[in-house]
Amino acid sequence: MAITAIKPQKENEKARKPLARADTQFTIVARRFRRHRLAMVSLLVLGAIFTASILAKQISPFERDYLNVESAAKFLPPLSTSPETGGMHWLGTNQIGQDLFTRLVYAARISLTTAILATTFSTLVGTILGTLGGYFRGVIDAVIQRVIDFFSNLPTLPILLILTAVLVTDPRLIPIPTFVIKFLQAIMLFDQEREARVVAALILILTLLGWTGVARLMRGQVLQVRERDFVEGARALGANSLAIITRHIVPNAFPPVIVAFTLGLASSLTAETSLSFLGIGIQNPIPTWGNMLAFTQSYMFERPYLPLIPAFPMFLCSVAFNFIGDGLRDALDPRQTK
Amino acid sequence: MANFLIRRILAMIVMFLIITFVAYNVLSLAPGGPLQELQQQQQNNANRLDAFAFERVMVRYEFDIDLIPRYTRWLMGQPDGPLNLFGQEMFGATQVGCLRKGETIFKYPDGRVVVSDCEVPVYLNDLKGRAVSKGILALDFGTSQGVLRGRPVSEVLNSRIGLTLLLQGISSMLALAIAVPLGIYTAVKQYSKLDYATTTVAFLGSSLPSLFWGLMGLLVFAVLFKQWGLPYFPAGTFVSNTPQTVPLIGVIEPESFADRAWHLILPILILTFVSLSGWIRYIRASVLEVLKQDYVRTARAKGLSERAVILKHAVRNALIPFITLVVTILPGLVAGAIITETIFSLPGVGNLLVAAIYGSDYNVAMAVLLLSVVLTLIAYVLADILYTVADPRIRLR
Repeated sequence: MAITAIKPQKENEKARKPLARADTQFTIVARRFRRHRLAMVSLLVLGAIFTASILAKQISPFERDYLNVESAAKFLPPLSTSPETGGMHWLGTNQIGQDLFTRLVYAARISLTTAILATTFSTLVGTILGTLGGYFRGVIDAVIQRVIDFFSNLPTLPILLILTAVLVTDPRLIPIPTFVIKFLQAIMLFDQEREARVVAALILILTLLGWTGVARLMRGQVLQVRERDFVEGARALGANSLAIITRHIVPNAFPPVIVAFTLGLASSLTAETSLSFLGIGIQNPIPTWGNMLAFTQSYMFERPYLPLIPAFPMFLCSVAFNFIGDGLRDALDPRQTK
Repeated sequence: MANFLIRRILAMIVMFLIITFVAYNVLSLAPGGPLQELQQQQQNNANRLDAFAFERVMVRYEFDIDLIPRYTRWLMGQPDGPLNLFGQEMFGATQVGCLRKGETIFKYPDGRVVVSDCEVPVYLNDLKGRAVSKGILALDFGTSQGVLRGRPVSEVLNSRIGLTLLLQGISSMLALAIAVPLGIYTAVKQYSKLDYATTTVAFLGSSLPSLFWGLMGLLVFAVLFKQWGLPYFPAGTFVSNTPQTVPLIGVIEPESFADRAWHLILPILILTFVSLSGWIRYIRASVLEVLKQDYVRTARAKGLSERAVILKHAVRNALIPFITLVVTILPGLVAGAIITETIFSLPGVGNLLVAAIYGSDYNVAMAVLLLSVVLTLIAYVLADILYTVADPRIRLR
């Protein structure tokens, strides 16, 4: 750990500065991360997209599913005004006269929330199971390893397709507590409970199929960390397993999981978009980038700009998640000394 | 080794049974099947159906049989009647299902219902004489219920699998042929111009899904190139109906070899690009890691030529973990191009799976799933065996 040089205090400075301390791990990592220019740019871009999606209701000029009934309002080019309300269609309208900008912003909110929740849950499950297996070893580890083997021997996309097709078409098949539905309805601005159930089912499926990578990673880390001297020291001082795991093992084993989390966001987003594109995941009228892309495909010959509208934010987010993952990986790498 | 293989194959069989059991039953939960169709028709009063017609459909799709016997009938065509031991029929009166559910006796205000016992139970004896497939273990996948109603699933699969094999085979071989040398080269010549160019392209290629690249490829090479009068690729069709005039290339006759190739080039390129990008990044990282190792320094210190150091000492070690990625080509041969096939409307297996899911064609969906499960399982065993071949330090016990 680098210790910053203590600058000699100038004579005329009256205020006593606090003693310079050794940098914390966090400041070192933050400093290294800031040096990764592309990651910083990605952070800004993501910040902008997040802000837009949080303010979806405020910045979108129309209701999510508002559609201009007049046939003249279909496929309006960008920057035209609605013949019915006079509102501005920043990105034009789609094949049934809905405002594309509004739907894009709502889709950002829905796609990103789905990706974040699914990745958070799968990281959480993976971390817990990986830590338990790596720390306690023995029977617990063997059982968890078998389960991981089982899941990683599945052909992911076909299984994902079939599970989603069944559970999303009839989301009542899995009992989801009402407060979860209410919560999802609130954060995704859904009017209907059914829409929240569909998204909840999809999050559950992505979690179910996504936790094994993190679990394997965490287990490997924990197996290394638990042999280190400070763990033995803690045990010698009488710390119980819970304290050792939460205060010594997890913080030291966690950095690669943070990277995996960021990259996992990109792959959850991809999975959700692909499923929605195939018409099997989240479906109309709920907008997502995937189902918006699916609709534009039919009209791209006459209006080649249409696919770019949902594809561009999708591109930005995927690339940004990956850049941030790379930046974090470099910043968290203990072999780096700077 | 023999011991290891036996254990792995036993584990594979158990995995296979669990996955197929779960998948088969999950699929039978799927709404929108033939029963629901009938129910809707009844509601609309389009076709007035009596209760018996409804039950006939239930029997036809075996919805009246319990999960486990229904699964074993699908798996191996058993039980197809009472157990026959030494000419003696046994367990004929064992209940294996229920044709007509009991009536609701009482409804609690919170939604729970009390149902009387099964009104028309199905016994093992009743299964005698019912049509049953030979079971998937005898490679009889049953008949298609939606995509091509009434045709054997194997026929449907046969008509589709050639295209997917072609797509995935060519694109995987291309990707391998480019990724391995390029990955090694970029690692050896780190920070060269080619390295920067390759890593940037590979980064973009691997951070975005085939969905994105497929659509963008279609937009640029099919839509925009056509408008700009450049040689373009077709979109949304698999074969041309009329002769197509392509600028700079000439006329392409329908259903000629040129026509087939013209339709397949773009999807193959997209598939190649997506798998290529990931592989290059992987190979480059692992060669870079190996080049830092002491034994590479030793090899250099011995005065070996740079060529020998890289090819014999570095690459051979660096490519061992790559085996895990290469074997995923195998399951990919069946259902690895779902998205690309959908974007380019190619009638391959991936497209078939999506159609089967839409049309509640369980037998077809299960057959596709089954093939990819089996190939995935084989691929991982293959990876373990290849590991021992590539790396004599690894012994399987």
